[in-house]
Amino acid sequence: MAAPITHPALSSFCKINCNINGIYSLISLNRRISISSVVLSSVVATEREATGRGGRGQWRSRRQAGEPRTERMAEDQDWTAVYPTAASFKPSAVPLPVRMGYPVKRGVPPAKKGNLELIKIPNFLHLTPVAIKKHCEALKPFCTKWPSALDSDEKCMEHFPIQVQSKEFVSAGLSLRNPDARIVTLKVKLSSLNLDDHARKKMIKLSDERYCKDTDTLTITTDSCPLRQQNYDYAMYLLTVLYHESWKTEAWEQEKTRADMEEYEWEDSPSQKNVLETLLRMRPLGAKDEVEEGTREELLGQPAVQEYRDAMVGLKNEGETEENLRKYKEAVKKLLNI
Amino acid sequence: MNLHKLASRLRPTVTQKFRHFHIQGSGQQLEAVVGETSSAEPSLLSVFRTSEQDPACHSERHTGQYYTIPPAHIQKLFPHGLPPRFQLQVKTFNEGCVMVRPPALELISYLKRVDYSKPPLRYILYGDTGSGKTLSLCHALHYCYTQGWLILHIPDAHLWVKNCKELLPSSSRPSRFDQPIQASQWLKNFKITNERFLSKVQLDRYVWTKRESTEEGRPLGELVDQGVNRMKSSSDVVGAVLRELRLQAGGATDGEGAFKLAVAVDGVNALWGKTTLKKEDKTMCEPEELTLIHNLRKMMKNDWSGGAILTALSQTGSLFKPRSAYLPNELLGEEGFDNMEPFVPVSVPNYSEKEFESCYLYYLDRNWLQHPHSRSEEGKKELIFLSNKNPSILERLCAFL
Repeated sequence: MAAPITHPALSSFCKINCNINGIYSLISLNRRISISSVVLSSVVATEREATGRGGRGQWRSRRQAGEPRTERMAEDQDWTAVYPTAASFKPSAVPLPVRMGYPVKRGVPPAKKGNLELIKIPNFLHLTPVAIKKHCEALKPFCTKWPSALDSDEKCMEHFPIQVQSKEFVSAGLSLRNPDARIVTLKVKLSSLNLDDHARKKMIKLSDERYCKDTDTLTITTDSCPLRQQNYDYAMYLLTVLYHESWKTEAWEQEKTRADMEEYEWEDSPSQKNVLETLLRMRPLGAKDEVEEGTREELLGQPAVQEYRDAMVGLKNEGETEENLRKYKEAVKKLLNI
Repeated sequence: MNLHKLASRLRPTVTQKFRHFHIQGSGQQLEAVVGETSSAEPSLLSVFRTSEQDPACHSERHTGQYYTIPPAHIQKLFPHGLPPRFQLQVKTFNEGCVMVRPPALELISYLKRVDYSKPPLRYILYGDTGSGKTLSLCHALHYCYTQGWLILHIPDAHLWVKNCKELLPSSSRPSRFDQPIQASQWLKNFKITNERFLSKVQLDRYVWTKRESTEEGRPLGELVDQGVNRMKSSSDVVGAVLRELRLQAGGATDGEGAFKLAVAVDGVNALWGKTTLKKEDKTMCEPEELTLIHNLRKMMKNDWSGGAILTALSQTGSLFKPRSAYLPNELLGEEGFDNMEPFVPVSVPNYSEKEFESCYLYYLDRNWLQHPHSRSEEGKKELIFLSNKNPSILERLCAFL
């Protein structure tokens, strides 16, 4: 195959791409880069034309480009052979009629031939599903098998309740490093930890906004150390400390007030007192004097009072809704014998 | 004008069937109509009006119908009790018509059934803004009035926690503050409402200043007069009045002194909210430090017997509460809820289909809807859509038409 002859003065502007099937050459004229395809078949003719035309001697010979590769592509060809690695967009190798660019006045987006926009952007033509499958097949000899016992998500969660996430970054810039790669996120469900009632409440209080009530997940994100390994160790340490601290009971925890309680408890609440008082007042006058423990228990044990208690707890814990209020109303009516 | 005068002359004598013709055509001559009394269709009118004036006899079959409160009752019972827009409406239409609605019926049914030797039950009317809580409360109060109860009506407790021009340190207790203007105004209205009880109730001894005191056995009327005349001690007088009534409500079982006490407070969430009043050192005043509020709170407890406590929540005048709050817990707050329970919550929803029909026909009847489009089906659907069947929004919309 004849190699194109280029003028030495223009060599700095020229770039020759050798391809198996075609030859391209970049010719710069007056510092403008334009792409022309040279047809292979009429090599000799162009040589002559060039010499005839180019009085200045810019081009000795210029081959015509052959037909684009797309003409010869079969439907079921092996695409991984066309784009085995990441490469820029080659309009004669991609058989798709793509258009890209801004449609100037009453025009359409320019076609793919000679379109710089398509070349500039990154493409993933080398990562088709078929290509990925081939990658996987190539990597398989280096992998171990997935344990057969862990065949469902639940089993994975059961045996490995702690999930650690971190990100890897690949970049081809001046530096390969990315500081965000050191961040480690640790997620664990509190139901999988061995916590009793007090420990669970304390753990939730200690972790504050790292705990999500809806999914019962504690999320610890660490980024204070420079290395991922250090951050991972720190996260595990935090989890361990939280766990052990929540099992301990400090002396000052005795001073927990009603305002600190996570949920509403009916015992010893103003509501209970009110109900007791009301019931006591409602009894006939004679029996009012015998207020002892016995009557108190007996009053509290009545089903109407129990229903009232359920309605109150529902109202306070779940917030107020029409439904809750309706239940409360029924309970009050029964309690006060309306 | 002619039409209107004729209408007002004819009203007491003629049956309600006459008004049907107002709906048929505005501007028709009434003389032509006079002769045709019997041919009027009763069905149209009986849909939205009822002739049953006594709230005690209202029942489910009257739901959605308007009943008229006699003007004498309005003057006595509600000198300050009705919402301002409703008062305007009463003046415009020359009659006070209230719709009979399920929440009020429910309240009245409870009031009928309860045993009055037990502590009073607390009822809280709650609902969206403008859904008719205050008017339902007034309806229930009208019932109490016709049954001969003593009415203690605080039309809007929010007025006592904001915009007070004078805030005096209390004469009797150093840490409290008095509001003489509000107190004396309320006492005046109380006097108008409960004329007949003023001479019946006997009091204990109260000492106001070194020189003034109320002896034992004097009638309530004297105490109230003193409160109205002497502004300085009016808040304490209010406290004394409340205390007396509380003690005596169910006490006497003989026919002479027995009375039932209806405590009606609108905007009860003001009692446990915040105030916008400032003390002299520019710190915010707590509601607890106001004499009036303090005494009213004592009234809300159910440690007396022989009456009922009817209350309504109100977001409209409330301070520091979001516009969308209407449920008891949100408006009353923790403290208020704890103080008020156990209470019976009564929900006041927007108009139902039937009630909306009623209201629409009533406005048509009163010639309130002047716009020709409002008389058509299309217009009615528009009204439903715009107001979402909310009574107060509907009323404001119709005022434009």
